[in-house]
Order: sequence, then structure tokens, then C-alpha cells
Amino acid sequence: MIPSVDERLASIVRALTEVILPHLPPEASLAQEQAQLAIGHIQIIRGQLDAAPAYEQEELADAIAIGTDLAKAVSGGAKTTAATKALAASVAGVDSADPSAANLRAGRQAILDAVEQLVRAVSVDGDATGKAALRATILDQEYTRTQKDRKWFAPFGFDSL
Amino acid sequence: MTAQLEMEAVNRRILDRRAASRGLPPYRAALIPEVTEILADYFAREVPGATVSGVRRVGGGASKEQFFFTLHRGDAAEPYLLRMDPRLAITETDREREFVLLQAMVGTVPVPEAAWVDATGAHFPQPAAIMRVVKGVTKPSSASIKVTGLGTWLGDDLRAKLRDQFMDHLVAIHGYDWRAKPLPGFDVPDADAKQAARWSFNFWRELWRIDNGQTRPIIALAEQWLADHLPDCAELVVTHGDYRTGNYLFEEDTGTVTALLDWELARIGDFHEDLSWVLMQVFGTIENGTFRASDLFEREEFITTYEQRSGRKVNRETLHFYDVFAAWKCYIIVAANGMAAARSQHNHQDVLLTFLAATAPMFADDLVRLLRQGDQA
Repeated sequence: MIPSVDERLASIVRALTEVILPHLPPEASLAQEQAQLAIGHIQIIRGQLDAAPAYEQEELADAIAIGTDLAKAVSGGAKTTAATKALAASVAGVDSADPSAANLRAGRQAILDAVEQLVRAVSVDGDATGKAALRATILDQEYTRTQKDRKWFAPFGFDSL
Repeated sequence: MTAQLEMEAVNRRILDRRAASRGLPPYRAALIPEVTEILADYFAREVPGATVSGVRRVGGGASKEQFFFTLHRGDAAEPYLLRMDPRLAITETDREREFVLLQAMVGTVPVPEAAWVDATGAHFPQPAAIMRVVKGVTKPSSASIKVTGLGTWLGDDLRAKLRDQFMDHLVAIHGYDWRAKPLPGFDVPDADAKQAARWSFNFWRELWRIDNGQTRPIIALAEQWLADHLPDCAELVVTHGDYRTGNYLFEEDTGTVTALLDWELARIGDFHEDLSWVLMQVFGTIENGTFRASDLFEREEFITTYEQRSGRKVNRETLHFYDVFAAWKCYIIVAANGMAAARSQHNHQDVLLTFLAATAPMFADDLVRLLRQGDQA
């Protein structure tokens, strides 16, 4: 690919940094701030671009894992049972043959929406074992997921991870 | 009205306004000549004979459009600040409410003088308020360049000068006698002991829904945990709502606090809500593994000093609830409210809002850490 995506982004950064920013008047504080943020954003995107597809695939894999575990472990009354079945169906509904980003995102969101419904259902008629399993599974697996997310967004400079 | 939808009347209006604004066209940043003309027209009516000059944009901040200007009346030339809402903001609030509180707090804590308000956007393109400029800075001039208030580093000298003032002003806010000096437009959550917590929770939960927050398991779990653990409020006080380093001005040479800022999230509620906000890790610093809230106090030091100065007893279980609430709320602000404003192009700082959204995993991780502690810290 000529020019590559990275080469194109690099040229945009250079134009913003060396041509546009120096020509903004001192009183144009908002424009200066936003140009600097745009440069920062693009630089981070350049660093993440190649890894982004794998990151989203892993997000989906983690969603499938937590959805599968919760559907197996959580028990309770009619609402909880219906929610676990819906969650299992959302996991089964992921089209693993379609590697597109849109499919990855839609599959992941369907599972996470079903997890949310399960959390609500368990609060209504989950049994003690089911409540404990829900809490333990979410806390354990979200701990792992949030560490990955924090690392991914660390280049923004907010996180001392 | 069902219990789930119950909240302070002003917050219901804010939510209705936010939901209704979805179909409006994109918003763009106001230009200096436009703001100059609007101000000139406004003061031609409000202060006949006065003129406006020197309009310039104020940098920093993630919420309002802000402009300094000079108002000339006779021989007097006075500096003022115009704060104007964008169409959608990362925090949706009410200008009238902030105006009322700024006027009420005069004599209690240092605040900017609230001069004029256009709460409905009758004259300005959006709701706006004008206040007198106060000298001071929100961070040391030597501080590294960051979005104001997120982890501001004060250093030993300023820390020593500011920490007592920071605590005393917080105690003074909580000591404001709202029964003797009522705040117009501020509803009092005194129907039952849990109403203060319930109103806050309901508002932010509905804001999350309106802005189509994309759920994740820890957010769903936290929301349910909060719903199941609403604490009783033992004493209703005025809360600031966003009390932290970055939201006050101080003289850099003397370290004197000259004004407390950003009162838009203030309400009558539980003082623990303010304490937990102060104690949020994102607003503090970590030095050699030691966390300092707002770079001023270590956690236990802050709690015990507050108890000593205020005479109140901090309920650790209630504080834990508001610790969870604060992290959940921060997640909603950056991941739902800010992103909704950016996606709809209803804000003047989309690029900043998407930048700030990168903090969302930190708050998700806070929630994991806090909920692992059980029901009590």
C-alpha cells in the first residue's frame, strides 16, 4: 500500500505541527489546544493501528468467555433462567466466520447487553449461589479485562499504570 | 412518579432538555466577533451606556465555552467572565442554579461574584452566566501540561499553604445553613433517609440511558450494587459536587485561595458524596506509592482531619457507597456523556471529549477494586 496509512497520518501530523500550529495567532487558544490534541490523538492512533484488529478480537473473545461462564454458573428463578438462556444464545449467535470489525463489535455488544440483563434478573430472583457466582465471575474477568484496557489507553497519559 | 424516576426537579428538566436536543444540528465554537456582538447587545439593554472590549477565549476546561471581556462603565473598566453552555456538554447542568449558589455563598467561602445570568438562552445562543473575574491560577505555572485538575501536582510549598484552606472551605460549605438561608430552586431530599442517595443515583442512571452508554459487566454490576445499597443520610448539607484541586483559584506566590469554582453540580445532599469525590484517585497524585487526594491529603489523613474540623463522624459504609458511586459516575461522564456530545457534534471540543474518554478503563478498574472490598471499606 503506497502511501501506507501510517505514512499518511505522519504527513498530517507534520502539517499540523510545523505549518498550521505556528501560524495560529496567540489569542486562538481553543484552536491551539485542539490542534495539539489532534496531533496527540493521531500519534497514539499511529502506535495502535496495527494492533487494533487483534485488540478488538480479544475484546470479543473475552466477552464470549464471560458470557459462557455466567450462563453456566448463574442460577435462580424464572427471570434468571430466561436471562441465562438469552445470554447463551447471544454467545452462540456470534458469527465466527465473519472477521469484520463491525461483526466483532456487534457480537461483543450483544453479549454484554445480555450480561446486563442477567445482572438485573439475578437481582430479582437469583438464588444465593447464583448471586455469588455472578459477582465473582464479573469481578475476576473484568479485572483482567480492565488491565488490558488500561494498558491500551495508557499512551493518553492519564493513567499511571 | 415511580421511585425509579424520582429526582430533583431541576435534574428532570436537565434530562428532558438533553433528550430533546438530540435532533438539533451540529454545534460549532462561537467566534470572537460573534461573542463581542452578543455581549454588546446584551449590555446595551442591561447596562445602557456600557461598552464591551477585549473579548478573548479562556483555555482549558472540558465543559463550557468561556470568554474573558472588559466592561466599560463611565471611567471604570472591569474584567468579567462569560460562561456559556455548548449544545451538549460532558456534564449537563443549570446556569441559574450555579448563579443562585454563587450569590448565596458570598461570606461563607470565596467565590466569584455572580453578575448576570441568562438561564434559558433567551439572549445568548445557549444558557449563559457572567461573573466577575477573580485573580489566581488553578495549577502552578511549573505544572506539566495536562487537562486542568486531573492529577494536578502542587508541590511541597503550595501543598503546605493550601491544605488547611481546602479543608476549611469544604467544612464551611457543608456548614451552610440552608434552612435559615434557603436556596431557591434547590429541592430538599428529606422525604426519607435514602432520598438523597436515591435522587443522585436516579439522575446519573437515567443520564447513562439517555446517552446510550455502552454497557460492560462491571458497570452493570456496579449499578445494581448501588441500587441495592443506597445509604441513609444522617445530615443534609450543601454539597459542592466537584470539589478538588483544579476547581479553585489561588495566588501562586502566597498560596491564598481566591475563589472556589465550578458549583454547577452542587445540591443538598450527603457530605460523604463530596468526600468520596475528593478522594477519587484520578484527581490526586501518587508519589513513591503514596496517594494524595488533590495532591493535598493522604486518604485517612483527609477523613480524620475532616472529622476533626467539622465535628461530623464519617460513616465508612456510607463513604464506601459514595466511593463506588463516584467511580461509576466518572465512567458515565467520560464514556457516555462526553462521547454522546462528541458523536452528535453538539460540543465545541469533540477532540477533547474523545481524548478524555480514554480514562474510562481507569474508572472501570476502580469499580472492580472497590466492589472486591465487599459492602464496606
